[in-house]
Amino acid sequence: MAKIDLSNISHTYNPKDLEPTYALNPFSMTWENGKRYAILGPSGCGKTTMLNIVSGLIKPTQGRILFDNEDVTSQKTENRNISQVFQFPVIYNTMSVYDNLAFPLKCRDFEKNKIEERVQSVSETLNLSSFLKMPARKLTADQKQLISLGRGLVREDVAAVLMDEPLTVIDPDLKFRLRRNLKEINEEYKTTLVYVTHDQNEAMTFADNIIVMDQGEIVQVGLPKDLFERPKTTFVGYFIGSPAMNLFEIQLHTDNSVKINDTTIKTNTNLSKLKNNNIKLGIRSEFVKVAKDESENLVEVNIQKIEDFGNFKLLTTKMGQLTIKSKINREIEIANDKVKLHFPPEKCCVYQNNKLI
Amino acid sequence: MEKLYKFLKYMFIILWTVFIVAPFLWAISTSFKDFQSVNSKVTYIPWLDFEPTLEGWRVLIKSPARGGVDIVEPYFNSLFVTCTASLISIVLGTLAAYALSRFTFKAGFVRNNDITFFFISQRIMPPIVLSIPFFIFLSTIGLLDSLIGLVVVYIVLLMPIAVWIMVDFFNRVPKELDETALIDGCNPYQAFYKVVLPNSIPGLIVAGMFCIIFGWIDFFFAFILTFTEVQLLPVKVVALNSSITPWWSLSASALISVAPLIIVAFVVERYLSKGNLSGALK
Repeated sequence: MAKIDLSNISHTYNPKDLEPTYALNPFSMTWENGKRYAILGPSGCGKTTMLNIVSGLIKPTQGRILFDNEDVTSQKTENRNISQVFQFPVIYNTMSVYDNLAFPLKCRDFEKNKIEERVQSVSETLNLSSFLKMPARKLTADQKQLISLGRGLVREDVAAVLMDEPLTVIDPDLKFRLRRNLKEINEEYKTTLVYVTHDQNEAMTFADNIIVMDQGEIVQVGLPKDLFERPKTTFVGYFIGSPAMNLFEIQLHTDNSVKINDTTIKTNTNLSKLKNNNIKLGIRSEFVKVAKDESENLVEVNIQKIEDFGNFKLLTTKMGQLTIKSKINREIEIANDKVKLHFPPEKCCVYQNNKLI
Repeated sequence: MEKLYKFLKYMFIILWTVFIVAPFLWAISTSFKDFQSVNSKVTYIPWLDFEPTLEGWRVLIKSPARGGVDIVEPYFNSLFVTCTASLISIVLGTLAAYALSRFTFKAGFVRNNDITFFFISQRIMPPIVLSIPFFIFLSTIGLLDSLIGLVVVYIVLLMPIAVWIMVDFFNRVPKELDETALIDGCNPYQAFYKVVLPNSIPGLIVAGMFCIIFGWIDFFFAFILTFTEVQLLPVKVVALNSSITPWWSLSASALISVAPLIIVAFVVERYLSKGNLSGALK
């Protein structure tokens, strides 16, 4: 339970090389007490490095970490009062389930009654009560991961619980329930939870705030809605949402309109200061609709493919060389090969050099 | 077809068992014979073929009245040297192996793997190459022909084995285990002995077993580095031989020399069959 400040942090694994490659480029961020954060990004983007810096397993090449305004940069992991759950179950093979769960408390000299009480409470949350006396090594992989998770949650006073894709090995049903449990734990104890994942749905449903990373860079921090509707870079647009955001090379036309091929599209963005190079238009397939009676922002396309996903239909269409995808209501019948699609101006995002204008 | 396979399988197992057990049966039977029963006609079964005697065993214990050879003292010398050297090798070797597995070392072009190889390379050289340096070394520090001197030499011989096995073992213990222990509030030393070490017991047992075996059976260094003050079992057993080969006492001494290793094997086998050792060695 602490506010965590990461101030101008950066990290490289080869600091002595002439041109070190940075796993994390300099950034500053604050994690508010009691909130849920998800760090989202493809493999190798620096998510785990960031967690390890916070837990103290790695000392950052540069920058400071503050827990409640106290500098802990040079403090060792064991003194930081943080808990971390790894992607794959890490259990103490030689101990029973109970001893596994009690270990973090025993290491910190908690009283016996308190240990008993906490272990009981955590094991109930995680459905482990009936296994407490069993040797931990005899459990299945997902039960083992529950033990790891339990060890992360057993201390109430931790500054933050860091989770590195903790639910990867757990089956979907239980995953869903556990995510809800984690949320409840967060709401009850006001523990700061940081959750690393590459699954956007997991991130969207779990977190108050999502941190999107790419190649050691923090690309966007925001609410799920912001990330979805106004991605700050084309990477975020591409990475979040399924299918990815529609992106087209465009030409500037007037102060608030652009041209795709020969079609004029109005946007709500002021484009007067832009120069005509590497400009892209992005729009979510959810916002691209089959035109009814709109007169503007219409794009005529050829239908390539219609996939029925049950709750929606996904149209894959072509406009010249450009591919446009559109998620439409499944009741809508498409009779022709040609159809007009409508781009609502307020949903059109314009990017220059892959950054949102 | 399946029956034939089963038949052949059991035949093979039986043959193999006979092959392994026969020398032991032969040694047991011979150890109870006297000169007559060995040298006259072929005999197998006590009381029927020959009259058993304890003579072969008795000469192994020195008695003022009858002379005898006394392998009791060398026996305990061997036990002491093997156990002490193995224990020290395991302790030091495990610590070295943990460091080699978890930390990155750099000294010029030398990296972790080179250091590990350096340890193993001690066993690549033919022992004879080491004999003269060891001899000079021990005589310089005045430990020639002493138990402590032998322990020192055996540590040099056994530690590479311990390091080699334990590095491999620790490499397969995920480093997240140590990290979790740190996060749970252990300091690095506690993480090692509270978490990593208990998880490595199978590896320790295997390493210990190899150390004990290699220490116990060494003849070469025991022969070169000792004279009269101290003798180890293998040297003494060889010394039993004379112009008339005393098959009976040689058999008896062979049996009691093998005994500790058989006990070790049985203990480890029990552990193995409980499944606790699975994955300890590939």
